Amino acid sequence: MKPKLNSHIKILLVDDLPENLFALELILSNKNYLCVKANSGNEALKILLHEQDFAIILMDVQMPEMDGFETVELIREIEILKHVPIIFLTASMDNSVHIFKGYQAGAVDYMIKPLNPELLKAKVGFFVELHLKTLELLVQNGEKEKRAEELTIAITELKYAQDDIRKLNDELEQKVAERTAQLEYVNKELGSFSYSVSHDLRAPIRAINGYTSILMEDYAEKFDSDGTKVLNSIIHNSKKMGLLIDDLLAFSKLGRKQVTVSEINMTAQVNLIREELLFDEGENIPEFNVNALPRAKGDPSLIKQVWINLISNAIKYSKYKPKTTIEIGAYEKDNLVVYYVKDEGAGFDMQYYDKLFGVFQRLHSQEEFEGTGIGLAIVEKIVNRHSGSVWAESKLNEGSCFYFSLPNFNL
Amino acid sequence: MNHDDVEILFAEDSMDDAALAIRALTKSGFTNKIHHVKDGVEALDFIYCTGAYVARNGLQYPKLILLDLKMPKVTGMEVLEKIKSDPKLKSIPVVILTSSKEDPDIKKCYALGANSYIVKPVDSDKFFLAIKEIGMYWLILSE
Repeated sequence: MKPKLNSHIKILLVDDLPENLFALELILSNKNYLCVKANSGNEALKILLHEQDFAIILMDVQMPEMDGFETVELIREIEILKHVPIIFLTASMDNSVHIFKGYQAGAVDYMIKPLNPELLKAKVGFFVELHLKTLELLVQNGEKEKRAEELTIAITELKYAQDDIRKLNDELEQKVAERTAQLEYVNKELGSFSYSVSHDLRAPIRAINGYTSILMEDYAEKFDSDGTKVLNSIIHNSKKMGLLIDDLLAFSKLGRKQVTVSEINMTAQVNLIREELLFDEGENIPEFNVNALPRAKGDPSLIKQVWINLISNAIKYSKYKPKTTIEIGAYEKDNLVVYYVKDEGAGFDMQYYDKLFGVFQRLHSQEEFEGTGIGLAIVEKIVNRHSGSVWAESKLNEGSCFYFSLPNFNL
Repeated sequence: MNHDDVEILFAEDSMDDAALAIRALTKSGFTNKIHHVKDGVEALDFIYCTGAYVARNGLQYPKLILLDLKMPKVTGMEVLEKIKSDPKLKSIPVVILTSSKEDPDIKKCYALGANSYIVKPVDSDKFFLAIKEIGMYWLILSE
């Protein structure tokens, strides 16, 4: 049953005497009321089987066959009518058994005949009011139910969305797993490729170098000075080719090497490298000025390689300066520690800066400064693998400063 | 051909590497005592007196075995494994030759009982020195 507002208020009148029904209808004549009449308990039940939307039932107690109490007892068995207000109308006032019986049957009120029309009107009016309020509540409840329904739908949709997301995540994970497998495969391939490069490329160079050496050693008298020079060049170049292959391999190995992080005492590391430095006879030995270096977190062997490459670069490019200083230091910036190696050497032209960290890129000739052009590429790769960055500042003929940053260990 | 007085068995598939190594060894005074085989099969034939080496005296073992790792048919590592798992042979020092120190097999060779390894450098002088030193060391040690 859908509660309807603004329609007629239905009142069920039950009495075995038509004149009583007529009188009740008369008393309750109101443009808003719709009186439905039943002249027995049976008829009342029949009506109630089809229509349950009564605001109130007025029930005569004394009726033949089935009296008012019996009728009400049966009415109360219909679930939807359990709470319909019922006013019993009785002629005898003296009977407390009646009252008891009436209340037990679920009646709400009692009126003694002859009825006081005003009182009846007031009582009915009160119950109608109650009925209207109930209806209104029902409508509100209906709306709430509708809201709840909408909410349920929304929740269901949300659940579907969540399911979709979960499905997408699963697919994504699947894809990531596939990609990882692919990458691992490529990595493995690269590993064996590097190995065969080193093996197969070095073999012919080894032969060139070896046979040339034989010529130099065993057939020296058959070459004039030009020929000896050529042989020397062949040997020199084959050695360099070997170095290039080794460097390239070392560089490609970096990308695959597992970074094992631990605490690094940078001061100790730099001092150790300085102790291990080997200078050729007659080489200019620069003065070192090492400032305080905060501890770092990283792979000690890799970070050591960074220091070695930067320090040996500084030494290499300072070799034409008779008296020169190499400064090593660090400073904290934001949540990073920036380490630097500063020299007063040859420097480079900043317009070629973008080539500085490239593999096999060189900014100086072999005659001036020897090298394979892999050192800074290795530095950059190592530092990047530590979530840091590398950069440099330089002025031609005045010197360079190379910086690398690492996450601040002390934060 | 008499194979009974061979002191150094040298297995190497690259003729160039072999020629250079043999030169280094002979120049160091190992004349006539080196025998070169071209792969692992030949190396095993030599050691076990089979195939072309049926006539060899099986009681005479080389004093030093130089094994290139990457050889066709039977690799140096397989030869090494055979030698080191044979009670009669395992005391013979075996030196592994490899093209690269990146070779992942170097570790496995040590696990199998290799006595040392030489990375064949591009620089022939270095190779000469390495092979001379290692050859001398193990030959003197096994005497």
